[in-house]
Amino acid sequence: MSTATIALLGQPNSGKSTLFNALTGMRQHVGNWPGKTVEKKEGNFNHNGTEYMVADLPGSYSLSANSDEEVITRDYIASGDADVVCILADSSQLQRSLFMLADYAGIDVPCFLLLNMSDVAKNQGKTIDAGAIEKKLGIPVIPFSATDTKSYDVFYKALGRAIADKTKLNVDSLKKQYESIKGYQEICDLIPENALPGYLPMWIAVKALEGDKVVIAKLKAAIDADSFKKIEEIRNNAQGAVATGGCKFAWIDDVLDKAVRSQEKKVTLSKLDRIYTSKTWGKPAVILTVLLGLIASFIPALPLMGVGSAVLAIKEPIMNALNSIGCPEFIVLVVGDVIIQSFSYIFKMLGFVFGVTLVFGLLEEAGVMARISYVFDNTMGKLGLQGKSVMPFLVSFGCTMGGAAGARVIDNWGQKVLTIALAWAVPCGAAWATIPMLASIFFGPGAVGVIVAILFTMLIHMWITAKVFGGKLVKVEDRYGMIMELPPYHKPKWGSLFRYVFARTKETFVRVTKVILLVCGVFWLLSYSPSGEGGVLYKIGVAIEPVTKFFGMPWQLFLSYVASAVGKEGAIGVISALYNGGSFGEAFTASMNGAAKAANFNEMMLANVTRPEALAFIFAMTFNMPCVVALAATYQETHSAKWTARIVLYYTAVSLILAFIAYHIGMLIW
Amino acid sequence: MERLLKLLEDGHARTLELLAMELDTNVDDVKRQIEYLENMGVIKRVALQPKGCTDCSGCSGKGHSDGNTCKGCLPDGGFKNMGEMWEVVKNSRVVDSI
Repeated sequence: MSTATIALLGQPNSGKSTLFNALTGMRQHVGNWPGKTVEKKEGNFNHNGTEYMVADLPGSYSLSANSDEEVITRDYIASGDADVVCILADSSQLQRSLFMLADYAGIDVPCFLLLNMSDVAKNQGKTIDAGAIEKKLGIPVIPFSATDTKSYDVFYKALGRAIADKTKLNVDSLKKQYESIKGYQEICDLIPENALPGYLPMWIAVKALEGDKVVIAKLKAAIDADSFKKIEEIRNNAQGAVATGGCKFAWIDDVLDKAVRSQEKKVTLSKLDRIYTSKTWGKPAVILTVLLGLIASFIPALPLMGVGSAVLAIKEPIMNALNSIGCPEFIVLVVGDVIIQSFSYIFKMLGFVFGVTLVFGLLEEAGVMARISYVFDNTMGKLGLQGKSVMPFLVSFGCTMGGAAGARVIDNWGQKVLTIALAWAVPCGAAWATIPMLASIFFGPGAVGVIVAILFTMLIHMWITAKVFGGKLVKVEDRYGMIMELPPYHKPKWGSLFRYVFARTKETFVRVTKVILLVCGVFWLLSYSPSGEGGVLYKIGVAIEPVTKFFGMPWQLFLSYVASAVGKEGAIGVISALYNGGSFGEAFTASMNGAAKAANFNEMMLANVTRPEALAFIFAMTFNMPCVVALAATYQETHSAKWTARIVLYYTAVSLILAFIAYHIGMLIW
Repeated sequence: MERLLKLLEDGHARTLELLAMELDTNVDDVKRQIEYLENMGVIKRVALQPKGCTDCSGCSGKGHSDGNTCKGCLPDGGFKNMGEMWEVVKNSRVVDSI
């Protein structure tokens, strides 16, 4: 019985394994290539009295020295151990998948070409003239479908023909392509035939131009030192892989020319993409999308806001009940003013965290987020950042810590620090919860205006911050633009989205509860005085008020601003604790009488704070440092105490300046 | 492919469709060029996933160094619908030579 060995060569997903399994069935064994961890699959089958050994070569993109697999593959082929190499290509995308054949061209071993998945190509409306391709290539070329048993007859015939005729690939037209590359011919002339057994000088010259280290090392050992030196000189001034790759693609197009017919797809953009990718309308469209997204996020927030109000409503009955059973006054107040009050804010805030996470998750799932980072890529470049910095910024709308962690994908340290520094200016979920709550109390429907003003301030803030810190952190230099494959718009997967949103909300709930209870409790205690004259904080507050008034904030708001540096979620708790504490006597009497005026946060605020003061506070709180945890995350990511301190000082100063400006603008309006 | 890289020199991001239009070719052709350039190390795919998280309550402060994230940090398996991005690798011999 005669024997023959065939090697299967193809890119991943070319259907190589299906063919291998179909040919060998159970008669296969798996080992390792000598000295490597790469899997070696072999098998055998009999056909028409010949025993065939089959080697399933590792799937790889090409035959360059980018990986062990590729080097093993080409060394095995060139060794001549296989009588014939069966090259698989994906018929549905020949333009792409014939690259393996182009890279094979120049290895002096018989081969034939399987146009696999021809059924898929047919369904796509492509007609492929295998005969025409065969004529150009000089090897058997057959349409094939590894999953269709009927097409194996053709396969065996082609296999027999390739072995009998030792069919080798005609590389003349590819050679012509290569000749257009500067330096190719000179290198080729310096390489003797059979310098590396199994490879034509053409193949070696091309790999040398591509900077293939393995080939260059072998070449150095194989030819005289003088020629090698000359090759190295030519190589250094010649075009590289971009040019040789171009030649291979041009050759493929040439091979396929007139042999493949398909309905020419014109490049078209969807209506939405035409707007998003437009140079003029892209930015406004994206800003509008984010703005609408933020406003829309208040809708899913409503149910949880309702829970927050309901919690507040039980405060008074519970306090009354506790009083009536003779509970000590201090405990009644802790339960009412600290615990119940805090949980009311926690639920209201969670509403916004839920809403923002849901809306931005939805935008991401639907594919809009990718467009947003596309539109801002160039702007990022002007700031000395990369397009991917947009992601940390968007994540920061939810949580600045997430933004800081997200900046990890940026490998350049300076760019990473600058990205984090800018991410701080993005109001986080806790700020988004506080802003509308306060804004709606003071400005009614004007709250939307405040949100818009905050967003624009954020953009200007980020721009200025980039200019302030950028000089030291990044070099704004000429850079290449990104290539982006935008995902198609599609319906979100609700299940996974909601799992994420709920987990995120729960996570925030745990963290926020700790912060609010702690901050609110501490501040309430410090301001508590049984005599009704105000606690320690009251005395300090009154003393510093002349200074804080300069920034447009009464001392209570200023302390709340200070507390917002610990966690923005704590800010409202502090205001409530302080204003309650300050007028403690009254509040207590009021609640005893059942009037409960001071217990109502809204009215209490309106009675004590003017609109410009509220505006000043909103800006100061929003652009204050995000929270202590974000501070820690920033230090962790930047590994620089100096830069972390700089950023903190800068944000504190800027937030106070913004408060000052907001206050004075407010004074002009009201 | 020289033309593709030359286009990107202006610093503007481009989608596959825009590249195809500017290069007067089709998206499949652009895709194979990108595939080649990526394999040759001229461009690299941008990782959009932060690797691991550090300080959320899900990690109880221990963090995930194995590249996973907690449920509350990112959706299952991270953000999947951000598309793909590639950036040109500077200092690559190939880029310098054009």
